[in-house]
Amino acid sequence: MSKFINGLFRLRRGPWEALATALIALGVFMLMQPFALALYTWSFLVTLAGTVMFIIVSHFPE
Amino acid sequence: MSAYSITEPTRRSKWVAALLVTLYTVITLLPLVWIISTGFKSGQDSISYPPKVVFQPSLEGYVNLFTTRTRVSSDEFGNLPPPATWYDEIVRDQGMVIAGPSRFGERFLNSVIIGFGSTFLSIVLGTLAAYAFSRFKVPLKDDLLFFILSTRMMPPIAVAIPIFLMYRSLGLSDTHLGMILLYTAVNISLAVWLLKGFIDEIPREYEEAALIDGYTRFQAFRKVVLPQAATGIASTAIFCLIFAWNEYAFAVLLTSGTAQTAPPFIPTIIGVGGQDWPAVAAGATIFLLPVMIFTILLRKHLLRGITFGAVRK
Amino acid sequence: MPNPIEAAASATPRAVARRIRGLSDRTIAWLFVAPTIFLLLAINIFPLIWTVRLSFTNFAANKPNAEVKWVGLRNYIRILTDDGIWANMQTTAHFLLWTLFFQVVLGFTLAWLINRKFKGNDLLTTLIVLPMMLSPAVVGNFWTFLYQPQIGLVNYVVEVVTGTPASSFSMLGPGGLAKWSIVIVDTWMWTPFVMLICLAGLRSIPDYIYEAAEVDRASKWRQFWTLTVPMVLPFLMLAVLFRGIENFKMFDMVVLLTGGGPGNETLLASIDLKREAFEKWRTGYSSAYAIILFVTVFGLASIYVKALNKVKER
Repeated sequence: MSKFINGLFRLRRGPWEALATALIALGVFMLMQPFALALYTWSFLVTLAGTVMFIIVSHFPE
Repeated sequence: MSAYSITEPTRRSKWVAALLVTLYTVITLLPLVWIISTGFKSGQDSISYPPKVVFQPSLEGYVNLFTTRTRVSSDEFGNLPPPATWYDEIVRDQGMVIAGPSRFGERFLNSVIIGFGSTFLSIVLGTLAAYAFSRFKVPLKDDLLFFILSTRMMPPIAVAIPIFLMYRSLGLSDTHLGMILLYTAVNISLAVWLLKGFIDEIPREYEEAALIDGYTRFQAFRKVVLPQAATGIASTAIFCLIFAWNEYAFAVLLTSGTAQTAPPFIPTIIGVGGQDWPAVAAGATIFLLPVMIFTILLRKHLLRGITFGAVRK
Repeated sequence: MPNPIEAAASATPRAVARRIRGLSDRTIAWLFVAPTIFLLLAINIFPLIWTVRLSFTNFAANKPNAEVKWVGLRNYIRILTDDGIWANMQTTAHFLLWTLFFQVVLGFTLAWLINRKFKGNDLLTTLIVLPMMLSPAVVGNFWTFLYQPQIGLVNYVVEVVTGTPASSFSMLGPGGLAKWSIVIVDTWMWTPFVMLICLAGLRSIPDYIYEAAEVDRASKWRQFWTLTVPMVLPFLMLAVLFRGIENFKMFDMVVLLTGGGPGNETLLASIDLKREAFEKWRTGYSSAYAIILFVTVFGLASIYVKALNKVKER
């Protein structure tokens, strides 16, 4: 865990990509879940944020 | 106990596995066998219940697929000259006469033209790009490769709206050229990724030797790399062809007549009171059979094709 | 030592020679990549940017002369607060989750069995793979015949096996079966895909790992969960992500099977989008809809490419 946080601070690719992946997964879940309309409403922004983040962080050094 | 490697499955487990897999194969092939056999049933047999497994083979489906027919009144029917050909006779037996050829031939030909045209283009462009990606330092290589692959993932319906508008203003809607360009754009990602994998496997030393012998880069590419990559190019071509052959969403949205391919056409084959199932099955058989044959030919490279070259076995 | 090619080269005028031979590798690289990039820009990226632009307007493609108004985020807000579209997303989720579930279970099991390397496994693999390569539209259309309520093969088989009268239920009609019918056809078609990739995963595990486990007296059960499953997992992820993306945007097979019906029971997001865009001609609104689907697919695709590279390193 400390390695993960350390990686975030030092702008390493691995942990940031994991974070972006999690965000995209969350967005996709929110889009298709049957529980709350509000989650559905905000899903698009979450996925978009995750995707943009993914594109940026994939250029971070390993 | 007989001598065998500890990782080798026992004979009994092999038997059980073979049995279960065979069972699955039989079940999974049943719908395909049903399509093919329905094509040889008469209209009556195709809709009888319980479904007929043994039936009198008939070419009614195939004749109906290639013709349009009209019903004639019973008085007129008596006055008709005797049927001239075997297919006239089959149509007469249904109480109708042939009015003309159907559109199936044209649609099938469209599928062939568009399929081969787009495959040819994707292979030409794809081979060039794949060679460059494999051998040279292209700036932003990884980004470009990702960009190329991501275009494959685009939902067709999402880009269909502006393509529809664009083609309408360029006069490309419902033309062969328009569909060829479109399918090339979709296939090129697969072509680049697959071919890059194949070219990566050709040792660089061959070309370097050729360059030292005084070949130019182009000559080395043409005379050394291309022949080496022939198998890879062939199997990539088959993958592109199958995709273009099967595509439906763009075809149904962007074509209606001149350039319509077979997949949007086959479901519109209508008989008396609903779909003419033997004719649909006949059309489906003619349409699917080439793909089945190609799949069998491709079996060694199938895995590569479906994973964009990532898994090579 | 002069060789004939060099002799020929020195005989050609310098300008021509430079044109032919002087192309640096960098130029050749660009020359080779450019047509592909150009085509993709013209047929994928340009339309995509156009879609983004349209998504902020109230444009209707069937009324090209009507005044086009800039509506800001209104299309997005309307779609993202719409109960109906939310329901379509859940329909898509139902299709997605169940097809993935069945395909993974069946595909992995089949791969695991085929990996016993019994005689004839190559032939069976080739036969099993056939449905995957066929046209989803033609297949979907033909399955409506197999699903016919009175005469269909499926109803007949169900009657023979379970005794339920064939005329008492309808696979594509009302009664709630339609959303399972599309799952069945998709599973039938795409189980081989998952199977092939799992098989590659299983075959990538070297024998010596199992031999070592045998020496350590690990039980078969333990070997399966601690060796087989983790080793196949990256491959499985690849298959799941790819099928997930494909089924999220599923259109052709389902539109021909059910057309979204009965009612809205199998109205997947892309089928709904097609109706909005090409039947109701609400171009601006459906562009926003398309962008929402696209961003989702693009996000999943980035994860997919990461998984792809991971498997490639193996």
